[in-house]
Amino acid sequence: MSIEFQSNESGNGTATLVITGDIDMSTSTLVRTHLTDLFKKKQKAIVVDLAKVSYIDSSGIATLVEGLQWSHNNNTKFRLTNLTPMVKDVFEIARLLTVFEVYDSQEEALEGI
Amino acid sequence: MAESVKLTIPSDSKYLCLVRKVLHHLLLERQLSEEAAQRLILCVDEACSNIIKYSYAGCPDLPIEISFSLADDSFQAKIRDYGKQCDSRKIKPRPLDKIEPGGLGTYFMNEIMDEVSYCTDRETGTLLTMCKHLKNELTSS
Repeated sequence: MSIEFQSNESGNGTATLVITGDIDMSTSTLVRTHLTDLFKKKQKAIVVDLAKVSYIDSSGIATLVEGLQWSHNNNTKFRLTNLTPMVKDVFEIARLLTVFEVYDSQEEALEGI
Repeated sequence: MAESVKLTIPSDSKYLCLVRKVLHHLLLERQLSEEAAQRLILCVDEACSNIIKYSYAGCPDLPIEISFSLADDSFQAKIRDYGKQCDSRKIKPRPLDKIEPGGLGTYFMNEIMDEVSYCTDRETGTLLTMCKHLKNELTSS
């Protein structure tokens, strides 16, 4: 299973990471690597766009929880956007939808940063 | 009449997507809703991931035998490994109010499936059986 990443860093200290593919045990370490790179650049905010992620498992959720914890410890905003129905359902089962800041679009996620 | 499909994959996480694809095809063919299908796929995927991580400790070339059985109103998955046996009494999902990475795979399986049982009554490995009643999960055909 291949996974692709596209990150866009704006001049105002925000970064958007667009992930394409399934996030499972074989790919979640790559997600972690990309998120770590962005966190190390000390962005004000990181938005993860999941519009093209049709599957996520517990290792993917764990990686995003790590990102959330990192953001709390480093005073960075960490937002998720464009959750597909499957991904949203998994977040709901794990009761994490209210734990993360979740938005319907990148534009909404970037507002007010 | 129950329909059964069996497949064996090496214990390498790159094959998990293959299991998901096969199961997705089978479940949608049986008029299961996409949401219900994805939930069952998640449980099977998590079970295989646990075998790769814990039973086989990351060794990528050991067998995972999977069989799916679909009857009119039930789904059963049996997943067999030949690795380190698990102590089912020690398999506990983490409390959900504790927000931390990990520990969710077992929670998903217990939450979504109606029955989850681990059998270690054999020389090596574990047979995991998961069942789900589908009466309310089928789309109108």
